[in-house]
Amino acid sequence: MIDLIQTLGSGILVGLVYALLGLCIVIIFKASEAFNFAIGEFLILGSFLFYVLFFNETLPWHRALPLGVLIFLFFSYVFFFDIRARFVIAIPSGLVAGFLIFCVLFFGLNLSSLVSSSLLRFIIALPMGLLAAGFVGSMVERITIKPLLGRSPISMTIITLGLGFFLRGCIQLIWGSHAYPFFLDLPDITMEMGDFLFLSDPIWAGILSLLTFGLVIVFLFRSRWGLAIRATSEDQAKAMAFGINSRFILLIVWAISALCIAVAGIMISNFGALQVGMGYVGLRAIPVVLIGGMDSIGGALIGGIIVGVCESLAGTYIEPMGLIGFKDVAPYILLLIVLFIRPYGLFGTVRIERV
Amino acid sequence: MLSIENLRVVYHDVISVLNGISLGVKDGEVLIIIGANGAGKTTLLRSISGMIEFYDGDIIEGDVKMDGTSIKGLDATDIMKRFDLTYVMEDRPVFWYLTIEENLGAASFSRWDKRVKADMEEVFGYFPVLRSMKGKRAGYASGGEQQMLAIGMALMTKPKILLLDEPSLGLAPLITEELFSIISQLNQTGITIMLVEQNAHAALGIGTRGYVVEMGRIVLDGTAQELLENEDVREFYLGSGKKERKSYKDAKRYKRRKRWL
Repeated sequence: MIDLIQTLGSGILVGLVYALLGLCIVIIFKASEAFNFAIGEFLILGSFLFYVLFFNETLPWHRALPLGVLIFLFFSYVFFFDIRARFVIAIPSGLVAGFLIFCVLFFGLNLSSLVSSSLLRFIIALPMGLLAAGFVGSMVERITIKPLLGRSPISMTIITLGLGFFLRGCIQLIWGSHAYPFFLDLPDITMEMGDFLFLSDPIWAGILSLLTFGLVIVFLFRSRWGLAIRATSEDQAKAMAFGINSRFILLIVWAISALCIAVAGIMISNFGALQVGMGYVGLRAIPVVLIGGMDSIGGALIGGIIVGVCESLAGTYIEPMGLIGFKDVAPYILLLIVLFIRPYGLFGTVRIERV
Repeated sequence: MLSIENLRVVYHDVISVLNGISLGVKDGEVLIIIGANGAGKTTLLRSISGMIEFYDGDIIEGDVKMDGTSIKGLDATDIMKRFDLTYVMEDRPVFWYLTIEENLGAASFSRWDKRVKADMEEVFGYFPVLRSMKGKRAGYASGGEQQMLAIGMALMTKPKILLLDEPSLGLAPLITEELFSIISQLNQTGITIMLVEQNAHAALGIGTRGYVVEMGRIVLDGTAQELLENEDVREFYLGSGKKERKSYKDAKRYKRRKRWL
């Protein structure tokens, strides 16, 4: 019994991280009907961006400079074409952004010399890392997805497949493929009650994931921009006809998605070390969204928890029987069963039928 | 004053839909455009409102001018914001999974300010039926209610010119009548209306001027009254030409005059 509760508890905590991954897939799927297969690469990229800021990692100039130039081009582009700033404003703001990024990558942010407390450092570095991840997400959208607006969602999905390989190559080029030690040193909130023991890291992961999940939902359902996102998700043409700039909305959706993936990535890296090969964890989002329903946000939460619990149950009860590695397969078996019974997932949208 | 000059539009680089269409919309009028299926009416509205690019169409010749300024090639949202021109797409362009209130809110996205609530009340004033069901998802509303909502959403964008694409599509005659009376009310508040219709009789009833489009060209124009009395329009669009019986064979062999002018 103690075993069971312990297993369920840790399963739910991990499940919350998976739920966040699922949410990232779901909002992109709702907005553009494309499945983002590059989620694993976004996850590593987000973690690395945070790593650079938090652990004061620096890059040699021949790696930092191209990134700075890239940021400059992208910023100028977005300022000029999307925000409709004038040329004299767009170019300098792009230059400033590119220079800042170059400085951060080349000289390092050196947060540790400014702030001694690791919690405070985390609080400062997290938003910056997430913002960076969001920018990368929007940059990727601008370059790869925007030209396909109005085309078949399948082509977008295929693009994300290729994008995954491309991003993985880039990350390997920039940061190499060795493992980086990743220790956030958050305050210890390990819970020990009688026979139960919940470690600090998973609890932090669960809390932060749930918090991010909640913030995204509040943004989507309580704000004006969220309303525009939901309208665009339903029909891009209609949204455009009523004055919602679908292209910009799609950019924002990708940014939010990349940002949430980065949160999940940081939490998952915190369990162990950070390296390029970690990207496969992102694919855990596939059973999450398919079980929960591809277009259901609540379904992502439930699906995530189901996958997390299923995984840890398999780890506790089935693996000791000699089936090592069954933990990673169990969610997919569950997925098969769910798809047999409900092909649209547990909470997939019931299509509105007028009567 | 909106003027379309010799507009040619091609879809997917091969399908030529508008073949040099020219017309003008005067401020404060209700302009009716009638034509058979595939004549290019919807394409005309799409190219005016800047949506044509989204449907993979190209304006290869001609120009669309708003008070002398060319709006060709601008983004749909830009045209809407800068020239107060709103396009209500055909087949009831409402967001099915949003509630009616959210629909109206989404439509006012481009000009969100303190007056949105007041404007919503104004829309509910035009369409009282929407007020009673504002918390309901638009997908569950009836066809007439959805069309009213679509026009209400267009009103939330504060248009000076309203392009309506077949508002009567799939609606009962009584609802159509109500809708058209509201459209002419809107016109009296100063909104210029360009109305594309299959239901020629009802549309010409509220219109000031009209054009007949065929094969991507204007084949006939005149005041609404003239069109209502025109022999050819009566025969082809109002279904009330000469009284004697006609052989179906004649119609099938395309004996009818294609060029009217």
